Amino acid sequence: MNELDESHQIYRESYSARIWHHFRRDPFARNGLRVVVVLFIIAALAPFLANSHALIRVDGGHTTFPVFASMEPIEWRFLLYVPLGLLIYAFRRPFFARTGIHLLLLLGVVGLTEVDLQLAHRINDPSNDRDRPAGFKLMAPIPYSPIESTPDQFSPPSRQHLCGTDETGRDIAARMLHGTRTSLSIGFIAQSIALLVGVTLGGLAGYYKGWLDIAIFRFIETVDCFPTLLLILAVIGLFPSQNNMFYIMAVIGLTSWTGLARLVRGEFLRLGAHSFPQAARALGASDYRIVVRHLLPNALGPILVSSTFGVASAILIESSLSFLGFGIQAPTPSWGDILNDAHRYIDFAWWLALFPATAILVTLMAYNFVGEGLRDAVDPRLKVK
Amino acid sequence: MTTYIIRRILLLIPTLFGITLLTFLLIRLAPGNAALLKGGMGESGGRAMTAEVRAQTIKLYELDKPWYQAYATWVGRTLRLDLGESFVDHRPVAEKIRERLPLTLSLAGSALALSYLLAIPLGIIAALRRGRLVDRSISFAVFVLYSIPSFAAALFLIFYVASGDYLNLLPMYGANSIEAPEMRLLPWCWDRIAHMILPVTCLTYASLASISRYSRVSMLEALGQDFVRTARAKGLSNRLVVFRHALRNALIPIITIFALELPGIIAGAVIIESIFSLPGMGQLMFNSLDTKDTPVIMGITFVAAIVTLLSYLAADILYVVVDPRITFE
Repeated sequence: MNELDESHQIYRESYSARIWHHFRRDPFARNGLRVVVVLFIIAALAPFLANSHALIRVDGGHTTFPVFASMEPIEWRFLLYVPLGLLIYAFRRPFFARTGIHLLLLLGVVGLTEVDLQLAHRINDPSNDRDRPAGFKLMAPIPYSPIESTPDQFSPPSRQHLCGTDETGRDIAARMLHGTRTSLSIGFIAQSIALLVGVTLGGLAGYYKGWLDIAIFRFIETVDCFPTLLLILAVIGLFPSQNNMFYIMAVIGLTSWTGLARLVRGEFLRLGAHSFPQAARALGASDYRIVVRHLLPNALGPILVSSTFGVASAILIESSLSFLGFGIQAPTPSWGDILNDAHRYIDFAWWLALFPATAILVTLMAYNFVGEGLRDAVDPRLKVK
Repeated sequence: MTTYIIRRILLLIPTLFGITLLTFLLIRLAPGNAALLKGGMGESGGRAMTAEVRAQTIKLYELDKPWYQAYATWVGRTLRLDLGESFVDHRPVAEKIRERLPLTLSLAGSALALSYLLAIPLGIIAALRRGRLVDRSISFAVFVLYSIPSFAAALFLIFYVASGDYLNLLPMYGANSIEAPEMRLLPWCWDRIAHMILPVTCLTYASLASISRYSRVSMLEALGQDFVRTARAKGLSNRLVVFRHALRNALIPIITIFALELPGIIAGAVIIESIFSLPGMGQLMFNSLDTKDTPVIMGITFVAAIVTLLSYLAADILYVVVDPRITFE
């Protein structure tokens, strides 16, 4: 292979491959992505890491897997992420070659798994395999369920309860592990909703311009003038809902799309001035085709960057809401809810504050580092070295 | 310039209409209303209202009218600078807000001022030592700060500084001690400051992080400009180059981002007020949401929207004032 071929090779790299190439060179971004992946693995495997039911139980020649029997439909959906993630990793080259369409598909699949299943949390049955004798049993590393009360109330971190227990004797380590699911899925779904609304409205405004642009931009400005958290508090305060995980995702998503809409509008206005959309139109492409095939892929980098930061901020908003008592309601485990308990018993129960706060900090930092790395990779000119 | 400002102020009006209309519709669409809440658990000590009284209450609160009529009444009253009376205690809304606003404004204002005071030097130092250990450690520290939720920080500060287990330096909650009304001016001020240190600290650091990042980037951009090289080439001292040539230009974008920080700080203030039990706007908002106190919610939204919109406007005007190269003609 001569030199010309090699340079040709470099230029044949797709946009996303180039972003990935830049991204990988930033150690903070790389490790941030690792942490995010680990968090998703923890979320997917939470029932196997913290469960009062044995993973394997052998009694009188009878082998059972109580952990599967104890799992609810809602808990199965996270297991779908494992093959999904592996599939994406295995087919990452063809996947990222046509990023725009595939990312939307991925969002759709994940959104369906999240929304379609009943988001109710049943209080676990009191039976547990800790004390039940058996010929052989393999318990999860943390042998407690997240919503199971034990007699030890407010026990500080010990060998038995790695992160201590709360006022009703629930094991904090188990709640933390299962709370990972709450935080990650709320961050992801809320941001997907924001993405959908923001890209649609921003795209319409930026593509069609004129009075539609004026109307949409006024609307964006109006929503922007509410401090987001106040608006969410108002909506949740005025429309209380019992089954509220999806509700909170929707409220967060529907109130935090304005930044994305501004961004997409700006990108579309900028890209619309180029000659390639005109060329596409001259060739007879429909509006839909121009937007989806020509404009959107070109705006994808900034959208991705903004979405990563958006996920971080959605996680922060969820934990703030749960902390204020407006978010995820107990007994569903959530980091913000543990911190709410911590606030009530601040004078002695330090472990209630330390562990969830650290978890939130680590998650937000990981997402923010990924966002920073993506930003530098998408637009190397902005890189401040 | 004057025409520009007038045009901008005129443009504020549709936005204000949008905000208030949106809030009004939200309250109207919500299940339950103030009259029903009052009937269930109101001032009369939980006794159920007779149908007659309920009908009267509904009429008094204008809940029988369609939303557009009720909204029009609200707009008409507001244009006459009358925000109406609270449904709960029948005191004028303007008075209730006036009691609460100073605390929230002083909280947000001092947090904003403090974060500017700290963030700009940090940004400058980081930019001047770009890529070195100082820069990297400042960037990293700022990043960590940015990722700590303010309510978590508040919990730890209360735990370590105020709860008495470790240190008992500062009061845990409230805006004043119980003895405050009998205090004289100087001790009263001191008391207030002691109560404000923790809340202001918690509010400051998040915006500190973003402002210092902005100022670093903006300083780096200024330092890379041609006029800085010219200044160095003609032999000016480093200090003169940095402070007179680079910094002045770097400050322009930094000054104007305060408008962008403001909604975040206001939202942060709501959380912080709730943690430290401060009687500010946030608490008033929480209470009125609970009782569906429409006039108060509308009043708060109106005032918050005006503050936000005016700060956006001020940012745009400041842009012209600090940078003579920009004109709106």
